[in-house]
Amino acid sequence: MTGMILLGLLALVGMPLFAVIAASAMLGFSSEDVDLQVMGIEIYRLAETPVLLAIPLFTFAGYLLGESGTPARLVRLTHAVLGWLSGGLAIVSLVACALFTAFTGASGVTIVALGALLYPALKEAHYPENFSLGLITTSGSLGLLFAPALPLILYGVVAQQMNLDQAIRIDDLFAAGLLPGLLMVLLLALYSMWRARGIVETNHRFSRSEACAAIREAAWEIPLPVVVLGGIYGGYFALSEAAAVTALYVLVVTVLIRREISLGELPEIMRESMVLVGAILIILGVSLASTNYLIDTEVPTKLFDAVRAHIDSKLTFLILLNIFLLGLGMMLDIFSALVIVVPIILPIAIGYGIDPVHLGIIFLANMQIGYITPPVGMNLFIASYRFDKPVLEVYRATIPFFVILLLTVLLITYWPALSLYLVNR
Amino acid sequence: MLRALHRLEDIFLALLLGAMVVLAPLQIFLRNFFDAGIGWIDPLLRVLVLWVGLMGAVAASRSDRHIRIDAASKLLSPRAAAILGILTGLFTAAVSGIVSWNSGRFVVDEWEFGSTAFSGIPAWMFEIVIPVAFGLIALRYGLRALGQLKSLLTSDPSADPSADPGADPEGSGVAPGSAS
Repeated sequence: MTGMILLGLLALVGMPLFAVIAASAMLGFSSEDVDLQVMGIEIYRLAETPVLLAIPLFTFAGYLLGESGTPARLVRLTHAVLGWLSGGLAIVSLVACALFTAFTGASGVTIVALGALLYPALKEAHYPENFSLGLITTSGSLGLLFAPALPLILYGVVAQQMNLDQAIRIDDLFAAGLLPGLLMVLLLALYSMWRARGIVETNHRFSRSEACAAIREAAWEIPLPVVVLGGIYGGYFALSEAAAVTALYVLVVTVLIRREISLGELPEIMRESMVLVGAILIILGVSLASTNYLIDTEVPTKLFDAVRAHIDSKLTFLILLNIFLLGLGMMLDIFSALVIVVPIILPIAIGYGIDPVHLGIIFLANMQIGYITPPVGMNLFIASYRFDKPVLEVYRATIPFFVILLLTVLLITYWPALSLYLVNR
Repeated sequence: MLRALHRLEDIFLALLLGAMVVLAPLQIFLRNFFDAGIGWIDPLLRVLVLWVGLMGAVAASRSDRHIRIDAASKLLSPRAAAILGILTGLFTAAVSGIVSWNSGRFVVDEWEFGSTAFSGIPAWMFEIVIPVAFGLIALRYGLRALGQLKSLLTSDPSADPSADPGADPEGSGVAPGSAS
């Protein structure tokens, strides 16, 4: 027990989480007199989970897209199609960021790649400074409920490791994320339209020739979301197949056809993308071990009984869950939160009759807010660094967006049908 | 010496990922157009995920970009943050070393037992990446912590940004290590 407390303290002062989890798993196993060779066996399970193949392939494709001219073409295209709306440029930002994040996995790439284009454009169109800053910071994590975003995949993988009675298919999670994700975009778009009233953008009118030109320019990118999203949502592709096709296609287009990335730059991009993949997978690997220990010693069951003794209604549980997850999102990034916390709360939530797929959407929606919650929300710091603004100013700028996202999270939590309507069972 | 190791790791990582990017679509192509995939590609791809993940983790430890809670380094003085950085670095090295040692024993057992993974290839050949990767991670964190300790004892850490893990929180913008 003292060992676990010490580890908790070390985690709080910045010890890498994979080491914290590995140490807690080993402490647990040795207290049960299990040979620590088990660590090797558990980590090797990373090689026994086929769907994980999607993670390195999508991440690599996402990094390639981020380094290429795709963000600029995406912005031009969405602007040509949506720019005529009131608050057009703001809506363009939301839609472009959501699409881009779905493909790049909410790793901060969106703010870096798209924010640098959109933020100056918003300023030029005389949007209020604060509004633009908040919009871009918030948009950086928008879209992680859409396929094929990594957090959805990771939730599915973690849940599948739990050997629950109910099978959790990643396809179901993709279907479940669609409406809640769209709701987020819609509410933020409505707010943007309201804030943008009175702002007259130049080239505000829809122009057929500009639209055609933008479509021609983005001709290589347009098939990508159509094929991948259509393939996944339509059930034509397995996830790892979609990832394989995406990675090869993006590699060929950016390096061989468009030549926007030279062969010499490739190893660097490969390494950078795999640093992110490695940081996620090593945490997943060691947490397979700690999760196994937790299940062996029936910790979730005991925890459920303890919680059950105090909370008897599903509603109260959901309220507490929201508060807990919001707090968690302030401390942990989405990936480590997924692998550490889902194994513990999923059995409890099922005990209260919450659908595991719905729980996944609740979890991710809460964590998405965590990206912009002070004091340590990742997007706040990336935006502050990228746009050279004090973090406090970024905090203030994001508050209205925070309130809107909180509202959608509450809707998502207490209205299960929103998530489950599209899931066919 | 260490630089040669970095270079070697980078090349290896690129080869692993390259193999994955080529083999995964190839299998789909074969399956759809010739109705027959190659039997060893699927298990090999799964092993590649493990290898790419762990070698990526080694690359992440090189620049200390592992995911962690880094609120403390933003709140504390540079000196206190440096001391905590050394402490957590040493712990990380020790934990990784223990994982490396124990998974190494597992690999040796598998070797002696002669278990095979697929296509008759001995399983230990695939499993060996676990002790190797954790060993390299332990080496990185151990060396960095010792280096930081040395510069802490000999000079003012706030004058030397490389000695302070909190000094460059968003330096690379998308570093997972700074992902709070």
